[in-house]
Amino acid sequence: MKIDFTINGKPISVDIDPAMPLLWVVRDELKLTATKFGCGMAMCGACTLHIDGEATRSCSVPVESIAGKNITTLEGLSESTEKLHPIQQAWIEEQVPQCGYCQSGFMMAAAKLLKENPNPSEADIANSITNICRCGTQPRIIKAIKRAAEISNQKI
Amino acid sequence: MSADNTKKGFSRRKFLQRGAIVLGGTVVASYLGCSPMRRFTAQKAESMDLPAMMSSLQPNFWFEVLPDNTIALKSPKIEIGQGVFTGLAMLAAEELDVPYEQIKVEHSVTTSGLYDEMNTGGSNSTSSLYEPVREVAATMREMLKAAAAKKWGVKASEIKTENGTLISGNNKMTYAEIAKENKNWDIPKTPELRPKSAFKVVGKAVKRTDLKAKVMGTAKYTLDSELPEMLYAVLLQSPYLDGTIKTLDTKEAEKSAGVVKVVREGELVAVVAKTFYAADSAFKKIQVEWNTPNKVQQADLIKLVTVGNGKEVNVQKEGNAKSIIEDNKASVFRQEYRTPMAAHAQMEVNAAIAHVEADKAVIIAGTQGPKIVIDTVSKALDISKDKVEVHTPYVGGGFGRKAVKGLYVEAALISKAVGKPIKLYNSRQQEFQNSLYRPNTHHVLQAKIAQNGEIEAIMHDQSTPDMLKNLMGTDLPNKILGADFISAGHGASFMYNFKNKSVSVWNAEVPIPIGIWRGVGMFPNTFAIESFMNELAHQTKKDPIAFRIGLLQNDDKISVRGRKVLEALIEKSGWTTPKTEGIGRGIAIGNDRKSIAAAAIELAIVEGKIVIKKVTQVLDCGVSINPEGIKQQIEGATMMGIGAALYEEVTVKDGQIEQAYFSQYPMVTLADVPEIQCFILEGDDVPYGVGEPPLAPIAPAIAGAILDLTGKAVRSLPIRLS
Repeated sequence: MKIDFTINGKPISVDIDPAMPLLWVVRDELKLTATKFGCGMAMCGACTLHIDGEATRSCSVPVESIAGKNITTLEGLSESTEKLHPIQQAWIEEQVPQCGYCQSGFMMAAAKLLKENPNPSEADIANSITNICRCGTQPRIIKAIKRAAEISNQKI
Repeated sequence: MSADNTKKGFSRRKFLQRGAIVLGGTVVASYLGCSPMRRFTAQKAESMDLPAMMSSLQPNFWFEVLPDNTIALKSPKIEIGQGVFTGLAMLAAEELDVPYEQIKVEHSVTTSGLYDEMNTGGSNSTSSLYEPVREVAATMREMLKAAAAKKWGVKASEIKTENGTLISGNNKMTYAEIAKENKNWDIPKTPELRPKSAFKVVGKAVKRTDLKAKVMGTAKYTLDSELPEMLYAVLLQSPYLDGTIKTLDTKEAEKSAGVVKVVREGELVAVVAKTFYAADSAFKKIQVEWNTPNKVQQADLIKLVTVGNGKEVNVQKEGNAKSIIEDNKASVFRQEYRTPMAAHAQMEVNAAIAHVEADKAVIIAGTQGPKIVIDTVSKALDISKDKVEVHTPYVGGGFGRKAVKGLYVEAALISKAVGKPIKLYNSRQQEFQNSLYRPNTHHVLQAKIAQNGEIEAIMHDQSTPDMLKNLMGTDLPNKILGADFISAGHGASFMYNFKNKSVSVWNAEVPIPIGIWRGVGMFPNTFAIESFMNELAHQTKKDPIAFRIGLLQNDDKISVRGRKVLEALIEKSGWTTPKTEGIGRGIAIGNDRKSIAAAAIELAIVEGKIVIKKVTQVLDCGVSINPEGIKQQIEGATMMGIGAALYEEVTVKDGQIEQAYFSQYPMVTLADVPEIQCFILEGDDVPYGVGEPPLAPIAPAIAGAILDLTGKAVRSLPIRLS
């Protein structure tokens, strides 16, 4: 089945099994591999990307449901490799990642949170992001989200 | 450390086979003395790290000066999140006189002879290469200087090196320029290494070199890697510990869209298809029934892992603790502790890409042990070891799980069966149920408390299954040594100056595949010993830190460093300040990998739930290379320790691991983050391990804080307030 949608600003058309989870379309067909496979059951958040601005766990979204929608992955979060999204800037400033595998999902979830809530408290952050990180970068993720909020607010 | 030291035992022939420096596109056999590695091996032997002692260490890293004057460093150690690439770049920068960011570290490919036979683990990645990397870097610097000296007609000693440039008077050339021009290279004697006092970057908190790629999403892991014409495979794996195929029907799977082949070779069954989705969809159509002869139950494991079962091996003995305790049975303070099985639950599942041709295999695998990949794949395919080429992308966490038994052997066999490259990875369920587990443990602690409150004698008996057997694939070390020094040897002994002390390990056999888990034996041992120490302090009404300092009064290094760590902890944690109502405080200390880590924890119990408020960690890891990286590791170990103390547990029922999904294996989330303060002490002049030691004190410090708050001792994990 032919499905049209937009990914990172580019219109795209894929001819594919409509039941295929979006995660595999993004990773295996479109070769955008920043979005990771963690559990395939929407429990860990490693596959989080944005569908029309909503942070979504793409492993459990059939591709047919995104026809006509706008998808953003980590690759499309910043304007360029020099001009980083505040979340990415803060992630580097606070030296968040260790193995790095889950970070894409965390950053996408955090970017969405900041859009909704420009000054999240620690409780807001903990309540809205339930992703899993095994390296234990959680303390730095919280710091980085607060730092990203500062960066975003300075820009306005 | 001195040049003389490193020349001993120098064998040019051997060294020609070992390491290399590439200058101007020419491979120049580098100096790479085997002595630093021998020294390292001896050190590891001292600390009872058997895999290191028994491996034939061959350091095979190289430097290459690239045309843009950056320097490539092929790392024999795997970047698995611990920041080893940055640490090695910093070390090399000290002798190369280039900014550390200019040193591009990447994994070596094994066919170029650059892997470390030792694997990555044991918290020694950076510390083990502290001298060797600098020695090779210094040698390369001297080679570049010698070449420039010849060109300019000056003495090498008159040449300065800074920022990747050679300078003498008005003469100036970059490393890349001289490397391109010069053809004949002399290998000098190993230069004297610069002293620690001259370090420019080592010891400074710097940004990691791998994080930009990880933040931009360009860092490639095994799951992100590809080979041309690659197919995808899904492997049938038994959800039972001892399951074998009873009946199998793959007809529907074979007919499924996109399927290329269903491979069946004995117990090896895999669906191979053009996409992962097609392979996975077909896989779900396989009908299978399992033979499950033993149906192990949790109660069986508890029974098997109990002090008194199996063979006893004494690992520490001073004075006559055993007889004192036996003679005073009635008055001895005795407690038992248990820790559960646990899963690694690293975020990147085990994965491998294999391309097997006639007599050659290319493997891409996220592994802590390229050497094990070579050994096992060459054996499975019956080809020589030099025909197996292993590439390692970034590894998405391991914590011990990726030391052995990845999917590379299965991937190679499947690739051979279909004649194409294939990518294979576990589902999360397979990752949980077909894994290696941190074994459960049982500990009996006994102390004879004298009238004056002093501890007259103390004993620790530990029962634990054997990790070594799993790791080494042989029972030989166990037969020679009688005990498993990986799980039992770490942290089983008392670091305290008790006059009469005795520690025994009881070697349990369990029908569970067990493996190393961050901190190995140190995690359960420190929980048991330090919880007992907290109970002893409580019993004798002593302050738990003062009690410990009183038992670290000897002059040996561990006592002196331990004392300093605890004194720092008192100050940094605000230990002597008045407590807020409803807050419990606990502490614990552990020494492992020659590092000493102590933590003080403040917690509250809110609506029946333990809430960790504040963690203060003090770590003495000898020389600190990148304090920022060390803090990352301390924080990470703290979070993992909190999860292991409060939530994590693997159990078995009817021969099956009960936890198959993240929802059944709760771990820490953002909601669990306490205030964490990390302090680094440099109690020695060489670097020691960082990744594991700070995990040790967390669980017993939490238990100690609960004891402080409620008066009730916690003696098993995960902690459940009844």
